[in-house]
Amino acid sequence: MLEVTDAFDLVVNDGLMWINDNATTLFDSLRAVLDGLFNVIDGLLAATPYWAFILLVLVVGWVAVGRIFAVAAAAGLWLCQAMGLWSETMSTLTLVLSSTFIALLIAIPGGIIVGLAAGFSKASDVVLDFIQTMPAYIYLLPGIALLGYGPATAMCATTIVAIPPAMRLTAHGIRMTPTQFRELGAAVGLTPLQVLFKIRIPFAFPSILAGVNQSLMLGFGMVVIAGIVGSGGLGQTVYDAVRTLQIDKSINAGIAIVVLSIVLDRFSQRLGTLGSGGARG
Amino acid sequence: MMKLADTTGRSKAVECRSVWKFFGENGLAAVEAAKKGTHDKDQILKDFGCVVAVADASFEVSEGETFCIMGLSGSGKSTLIRHFNRLIEPSAGEVIVRGEDVCKLPSADLRALRSKHMGMVFQHVALLPYRTVLQNVSLPLEIQQLSKSQRTDTCQSALEKVGLKNWADRYPSELSGGMQQRVGIARALAANPEILLMDEPFSALDPLIRKQLQIEFKQLSTQLNKTSIFITHDLEEAIRIGDRIAIMKEGRIVQIGTPEEIVLRPADEYVADFVEGISRLHLVKAHSIMSKRDAVGGDATGLPTADVDDDLQTLIDLALKFGAERIAIKDEDSVVGVVTRENLLKAVRGIDVD
Repeated sequence: MLEVTDAFDLVVNDGLMWINDNATTLFDSLRAVLDGLFNVIDGLLAATPYWAFILLVLVVGWVAVGRIFAVAAAAGLWLCQAMGLWSETMSTLTLVLSSTFIALLIAIPGGIIVGLAAGFSKASDVVLDFIQTMPAYIYLLPGIALLGYGPATAMCATTIVAIPPAMRLTAHGIRMTPTQFRELGAAVGLTPLQVLFKIRIPFAFPSILAGVNQSLMLGFGMVVIAGIVGSGGLGQTVYDAVRTLQIDKSINAGIAIVVLSIVLDRFSQRLGTLGSGGARG
Repeated sequence: MMKLADTTGRSKAVECRSVWKFFGENGLAAVEAAKKGTHDKDQILKDFGCVVAVADASFEVSEGETFCIMGLSGSGKSTLIRHFNRLIEPSAGEVIVRGEDVCKLPSADLRALRSKHMGMVFQHVALLPYRTVLQNVSLPLEIQQLSKSQRTDTCQSALEKVGLKNWADRYPSELSGGMQQRVGIARALAANPEILLMDEPFSALDPLIRKQLQIEFKQLSTQLNKTSIFITHDLEEAIRIGDRIAIMKEGRIVQIGTPEEIVLRPADEYVADFVEGISRLHLVKAHSIMSKRDAVGGDATGLPTADVDDDLQTLIDLALKFGAERIAIKDEDSVVGVVTRENLLKAVRGIDVD
């Protein structure tokens, strides 16, 4: 048995080294792209004064979600600023949004394809199961080896983790088009592509948006864990505080994490109900 | 003496020839056995594991005709109607629409047929909930090369035909069941197709609305000269709407005829059971129950007159009004027969007069 395990380990390590040696340019460019994306969004958020951001959250939250939420969210974010963790909060937000964005670019079209072709779904289920059950921080190690310390690794791992929920729910939404509407599409003379865009995707919308929400939340969790790899943001703050046994700092960061997570969750859920708002009935 | 449906001089719009439909694995072998007549429905299920949905259906529908297919659940009517726009393909037999076999059409031609020449109305309406009424009606038009304003105008006029012009910007959830189905009809009419396929369109509505819509549909379809194939499980609906009716039982067509023929001359016990409760007052015409003029003694002058095509209700009213024992029946200007009181009583009772 030991030989098998040793052999397996050898294969994995050799494989990693081979990739490292031969695909350097590929991973360097990947890192550059991810870092670039991170810097752009982070710069944008950093340039916004904190009170403007909080005001925006207050107003949009008031109108879109609810008064109590809006006030609580604004208060929570103000607390982040008061604890001196504003830039870390913004960095975390950047990581979540950019990673989830990339994940959705893959997950939604992928989910549509899987939803349409029953043959694909078995294969994709296996892959998605694998991704979702692997302990998340394991994704970070190959990331460090290939992309080094920093935001790029965090974004890569977060993207991988954020793909399954959106992909699954998109596929589910597409599959769940009621039969009478598929018949309608054919009876009216639509091409299969027209049926997809005019009928099946609109019906899948609520499910897709639920997937977006789930991906954001799972991505957020991953971003916090990715503090280990020097990603910046609240995850790193927590990790550093834990490492140096500074309980007060770790609690502060924890509170900020909770605040940001709730704000993100409520807004994306609201987006979900807005999206299906036209589908009354 | 019964007038047959006057389909002479009208061309065939839709036809099916010996259409069979099996659901199951051994379709082809089952088809052979069924055609030879060696197996019946249950035997086919046992030997081939196939369900016979439609068995040897053959009929023609003329242009402008409303052809009703009536049967209980499981009789195969919904399966049969889906053959005409090839939502379902036959296991055997041919389906001819506008002179062409639909199964041999390439995809693009099939889509053109479906969008321009055939409209379908579904039992559960199937209006897209995220589109307004107007946008729903424009669905069949979006495939055709029309400008936005042309589409809007066409849809508005379709909605006007069903009386829903003011609801164009509402969403389906704001409409009642009857109104939603009117939108469904408008949608089917939007591209001005010649052929309408109606799959139990009014079955899910309550009885009063149903009757109203039946009358409206009949008027609309006659006015626009549409060929309609109309599926229903309600014989009264079929009689009210149909020029001819086909009765289906367990996949087979048991009888095809005018409402009058079906009611007065049911082909077998099954049909007879169906028509038992149907009122004959509007169906039975003078020409079917009159006795020959010579056979009845007496002078034909001085008698109240009625036309050959007048129905039983008219004749009874006439007899009551004049207190007459006999009524002279005229075709154009000559007297061709006489209806006696006995004829009337027999007609109401459903006893054949010959």
